[in-house]
Amino acid sequence: MATPVRTDETARTTAPSPPFSTTVHVGFRVNDEDVELDLDPRESLLDVLRERLELTGTKKGCDHGHCGACTVHVDGRRVVSCLTPAVQAQGTAVTTIEGVAGPGGELHPVQQAFVDHDALQCGYCTPGQVMSGIACIDEGHAGDDAQAREYLSGNLCRCGAYPGIVAAVRAVADRSEG
Amino acid sequence: MSTETAPPSTVRVDARDKVTGTLRYGTDRVPPGMLHAALAVATVAKGRLVHLDTEAAAALPGVHLVLTHADADELTSGGFLLGGGYGFQSFQPLTGDRIAYRGQPIALVVADTLHVATEAAALVRAEYESEPGAFTLDAPGAEALVQSEAIPLPMFADVVAGDADGVLAEAATRPGAVVIDAVYDHPAQHQNPMELIGTVAEWRSAGDGGADILTVHEGTQNAGAVQHGVATQLGIDADRVEVISPSVGGGFGQKNSLQPQTALVAIAARRVGRPVKLVVPRTQVFHDSSFRPATRQHIRLAADGTGRMLAAVHEVDQQTSRHDLFPGTHTEITSRLYGIPNYRGLQRLVRTDVQTPGYMRAPYEHSAAFAFESAVDELAVALGQDPVELRLANDTDTDPVSGEPFSSRHLAECLRRGAERFGWARRTPEPGSMRADDGSRVGWGVAVGCYPGMAAPTAARVCAEPSGAVRVEVGAHEMGQGLRTAMVRTVAADLGIPAGDVTPAVGDTRALPHHLTAGSWGTAGALPAIALALAELRTALKVPEQGPVDVAAAVAATGRDSVEVEAVYTAPGQPPQVLDRLRAGLPAPGGPEHPGFVTFSWVAHFVEVRIEPTIHRIRVPRVVSVADCGRVASPTTAGSQLRGGVVWGISAALRESSEVDPRFGGFLNASLEEYPIAVNADIGEIDVDFIDTPDPMLNSLGVKGLGEVSMVGVAGAVANAVHHATGRRFRRLPIHLEDVL
Repeated sequence: MATPVRTDETARTTAPSPPFSTTVHVGFRVNDEDVELDLDPRESLLDVLRERLELTGTKKGCDHGHCGACTVHVDGRRVVSCLTPAVQAQGTAVTTIEGVAGPGGELHPVQQAFVDHDALQCGYCTPGQVMSGIACIDEGHAGDDAQAREYLSGNLCRCGAYPGIVAAVRAVADRSEG
Repeated sequence: MSTETAPPSTVRVDARDKVTGTLRYGTDRVPPGMLHAALAVATVAKGRLVHLDTEAAAALPGVHLVLTHADADELTSGGFLLGGGYGFQSFQPLTGDRIAYRGQPIALVVADTLHVATEAAALVRAEYESEPGAFTLDAPGAEALVQSEAIPLPMFADVVAGDADGVLAEAATRPGAVVIDAVYDHPAQHQNPMELIGTVAEWRSAGDGGADILTVHEGTQNAGAVQHGVATQLGIDADRVEVISPSVGGGFGQKNSLQPQTALVAIAARRVGRPVKLVVPRTQVFHDSSFRPATRQHIRLAADGTGRMLAAVHEVDQQTSRHDLFPGTHTEITSRLYGIPNYRGLQRLVRTDVQTPGYMRAPYEHSAAFAFESAVDELAVALGQDPVELRLANDTDTDPVSGEPFSSRHLAECLRRGAERFGWARRTPEPGSMRADDGSRVGWGVAVGCYPGMAAPTAARVCAEPSGAVRVEVGAHEMGQGLRTAMVRTVAADLGIPAGDVTPAVGDTRALPHHLTAGSWGTAGALPAIALALAELRTALKVPEQGPVDVAAAVAATGRDSVEVEAVYTAPGQPPQVLDRLRAGLPAPGGPEHPGFVTFSWVAHFVEVRIEPTIHRIRVPRVVSVADCGRVASPTTAGSQLRGGVVWGISAALRESSEVDPRFGGFLNASLEEYPIAVNADIGEIDVDFIDTPDPMLNSLGVKGLGEVSMVGVAGAVANAVHHATGRRFRRLPIHLEDVL
């Protein structure tokens, strides 16, 4: 029965790469605080936020830029932090979900709208959705439901909370315009 | 004090923690000194490992451990969930040299950082003796078994009522009668909750001279199985294992049992003497956990000329693995959707070379309803009848299988109310007869669904504090369905106290024994358990059996620091032995056939599709869904759950398919890029409504399950709408734009 038909190898055919002895010293701001770190250049901003800075509100859903759960703002623009090398954050200002509420803990209007519209279920994608929602409004991409849906489609929600997410973002966008 | 006795129906109690990112999920834990792990996985689908070279991996600076089958002697299988064990499969990687499926873990590497661990895992060199495998239902070597013979248990027996084959044969020759005979294919699919599978394992000295204590942080729907399963695998007492899983980032069945990585991480943490975290990459998740198995379903359905359904035969071929028999119960619902007096079901299992498939939201009911409700639509077309009227004409109050009454069945009202909200009366029956202003072909489809009304033994504890605060704990899991919210609302409403005074806690085996939360029985078990505990609390506080309670005063009157009570709920008619199973981390649900009655949740879905005139993209601009889930325990979260089920149905009908490599095995599209799930722009308006009439028999609160029935029938309604738009019948999911060109 067990006739060998093929031999295979999992390993790369190249020799092992030399050990990394190089780290890169990087400084940037996270949620209005200065951060300085010696980084392995392979480290993503997502892994640095979660594993080194313990800012675990930013989530890992795919590590390939497909799902948006890791969305943060770098200098005010939304990025997927899993595809952002942490060294690239040098000199920038990073905002994570932990940094969007007010100093007294009052929720950002988009956060409050997510609560009001029950724009979430398990909550795992929610930090990324909120960060995308804030940026989507700032970009002027939440002008109507169809546009908001399109510009929020980089953020997957497996629970299917999309109708509430669109309603929440649109409610804040309408107030901002009015 | 506020006079409000329950939170406003618009508030989910953990919403604030979710929008601020402060809620902690399993692998959010970062204990001091923690190391990171990565898996090396098999690149063949079947065979034997003949050589495993870990030298290069182990030599990489920063690597602490490379664990393989050669040195994991303390590891055994945790058993199969449906075979008296705890795991999604009986096969445990790293217990031998056998390769059972592509992507099977063959080594675990532990290193200082994730990047070193990942690099080292890629340096593990494996040589295999490979064997040919079978990967699809039709492949040579795929072995088909009759389920009722392979698993001779009553719950997996074929559903039979009357003489379906005889009536079908007679109908085929009777003038005016109509017989539908069609085969429906459903692909394998993966649950893909947003939270990846992962484990943080930590050991600490018990300080009692006994063995060390293992703490496992991981997202799971079944903390009890993880606790007892890992204990079994490592040969330690279950009271030396703590599983902490207060919030699950989506489960959908994937996290309903012990995963293969948990014990590996626990062993690694013990070996290195430090906490270890493993987050299984998305690509590996497609092979390191269960999935919805591929099915082929043959439906034969006969009706007389008036549309009265006379007989049905539903035969199902469902994929399973070589090492386990994952049973199917598709016919449980298709025998109950209508009052069909003659029915025969047949479930077959087809062994293929994959990891064992398992549960995925509405695991059987979704594909079964797609098949059966498509056939009913075909019947309506053949008869020239309206598909809503045909369904209403075949309604029943009595379970045609057991002859017992349904404890509640408001399916006809779901259909009538849904038709009204949808504007069904404006539908023109002729396929292709409706057009939008932009030239899109418009199709309106309907389908119904049901899901068994089960209940599981559930432990609850309520503690009243001198401050008037009340803590409520349940041995169940919150995975987004709104369990915490329903718990708080139940306690606040019962005691007449503000919701803010109630603190809920779930997902922690240190507090209570935990039962698997799945099968839509979570809320239907937790709330009755809380109700029992609240009755105990009232007795302990010496307050009346009903009415508002001044908790602070009542606690003070007892002269105690706090008053704590526990209760355990069991499903109707369950024997006391189910509590032993609960305490052992084993599943023990009861239903849907309870003593003297049968319980199902019911739903009707109305779907509009538009097929765009240029590129023929299939869009779903609106859906109306009306559900009968008994009393609605938490209106806001219930509405979200029903809408979420509709999103799942649309996604399953138009997007999701796990593509199999028929030559080399494994799943090819193992990423969220190539396994598309519905995105925001795929979803239009979803209008939901509930009958909200308490079920009078299942439990004291009148609640039935909702999470899964919400998805059942959606895909059928989509396919029926596509038929209405195009005149073409698609009997294979997903339906893609190239199909409707």
